[in-house]
Amino acid sequence: MKSADSIVLIVDDDAMVREGIQSLVRSIGLRVLSFASAAEFLSAKIPDVPKCLILDVRMPGQSGLDLHRQLMNSKVEIPTVFISGHGDIPMTVRAMKQGAMEFLTKPVRGQDLVDAVQNALERDRALRKERAEFESIRKRFESLTPRETEVLNLVVSGLLNKQIADELGMSELTVKTHRAHVMEKTKADSLASLVRMAERLKSYSHINK
Amino acid sequence: MIEQSLVRNFAAPLRYCAAILIVTAALLLSLGLQEPFGNPSWFLFPAAILAITWFFGNRPGWLAVALSTLAVQYYFIPPLRTWALRPRDIPFIVSFVACEVVANRIVAWRIRTENALRESRDQLEVRVAERTADLKDANDALRKQMEEQSRTEEALEVARAELARVVRITTVGELAASIAHEVNQPLAAVVANADACVAWLTLKTPDLAEAQAAAMRAVEGATRASDVIVRIRTLISKGVPQKTKVDINDVINDTLTLTKEQVTRNNVSLSLQLDTDVPQVMGDRIQLQQVILNLVANAVEAMANVSGRDRILEIRSQREQDHGIRLSVQDAGVGISEELIPRLFEPFFTTRARGIGMGLAISRSIVEAHGGRLWVESRLNQGTVFQLTLPETEDVDT
Repeated sequence: MKSADSIVLIVDDDAMVREGIQSLVRSIGLRVLSFASAAEFLSAKIPDVPKCLILDVRMPGQSGLDLHRQLMNSKVEIPTVFISGHGDIPMTVRAMKQGAMEFLTKPVRGQDLVDAVQNALERDRALRKERAEFESIRKRFESLTPRETEVLNLVVSGLLNKQIADELGMSELTVKTHRAHVMEKTKADSLASLVRMAERLKSYSHINK
Repeated sequence: MIEQSLVRNFAAPLRYCAAILIVTAALLLSLGLQEPFGNPSWFLFPAAILAITWFFGNRPGWLAVALSTLAVQYYFIPPLRTWALRPRDIPFIVSFVACEVVANRIVAWRIRTENALRESRDQLEVRVAERTADLKDANDALRKQMEEQSRTEEALEVARAELARVVRITTVGELAASIAHEVNQPLAAVVANADACVAWLTLKTPDLAEAQAAAMRAVEGATRASDVIVRIRTLISKGVPQKTKVDINDVINDTLTLTKEQVTRNNVSLSLQLDTDVPQVMGDRIQLQQVILNLVANAVEAMANVSGRDRILEIRSQREQDHGIRLSVQDAGVGISEELIPRLFEPFFTTRARGIGMGLAISRSIVEAHGGRLWVESRLNQGTVFQLTLPETEDVDT
């Protein structure tokens, strides 16, 4: 099954609710790890597979919102479905602003939860794919020599080989050679795809600053 | 009057007959004694006169005097057996008369005394009767007053119980969010488990064991929700306070179920130190629960605006050294300033915007009605501790 490789994480202090949700999620063939508190969750080893988090907002000690914020701050991006006894509007807004996938009110309808979990897992798969792609692009771009990087930046900004050669004080032939190396190392099959990759890298590093 | 003899119930003729008989007896006896001793033994006659006067009154007495005089004169004073009176008869006549007079006096005095005594006794009886009546009246009045007082007290008791209930409802109202959570939480468990159960059953190959486990958890959740509801219903129900044996730790735990969410929401951590060895106390479970509920709600509220230190609510039960139990509820809240402490237990005193200021007043009256004490110690910016003691149950009345 496609979903067998993914995992659903549950953090809820109420054992009975936790077990119910766990059972429900297992019944659709997903693996589950459940925790009674934020602390328990944070100290656990979680396998590196597509996953999502079902998080109770109100818990003794660290609340669900606090835990989520902590995860976001430390760049651990897990699509999160919040569940809450009574989600008032400010709480919901705060959760969504923090990047929650879904905010469900207890008692949660089984189908809603299942849908939310499926969406969240889908999202995580997409995220992981994107992250992996980005990682590989970054690696490829990092393998460029400084000279090649200079040529790349000028190519991407739309200059012709001739203009680049003038700019960098080298022959057009050398530029062509560098340019071929860049295309090869970044595995770009066209100028368009090279530009896309460069843009993607730029916007990501921008966001991540 | 003097006429009356001691043997009053004898008819007059009978008394005279008795006088004649006694004098005759004295004569016969005297005659009989004269034979062996030889001396004239007429001394029995004064005795007879005295006795007759004493017992039958003065008229039979005088008859006795006359008869005695005749008998002595006839049988004992020579010349014997003649009726003629002589000067030598005078001494015994005088002595007989004297006897009679003395006896008369004595009897008269006695009767007077007796009458006076009777009179005063009658008077006394009247007075006693009067006094008894007075006393009875006073008694009735007192009883009425007592009845009235006990009615008033009953009414007061009812009013007090009702007030306590109203305050309880207010407290429950303030805890509504917390209580709603306590009901909603198990309901969430019910829904999740029921959904899971259905999911396991609708698989291509249904997993009955999983379905059963989920269904059982659903039942458990429903029971938990209903328990909370029962607890609240009991808490706000109308009813006369009933004293039963109570385990204070149970009461504390029951109360905490209702306030758990309130505690969590305010980021308060709970430190429970319950001595499992505490003796049972005699008390009304609901009222005691109300006291604890109130103290816990106050403690949480006191810590609502505290930052920079841990919000710890410590609840401790322990055996009191000499007798009974001690319960303390300690917060690390803002504390209460010294001027306010004496007013804390006053009715309608409150430091909160909402709240009617009856909680502590009621709590103290409840604890005192249970024979215990409730008091407070506080330090500004460090926290407050409320403590209460309750006497132990006497084991005789199980």
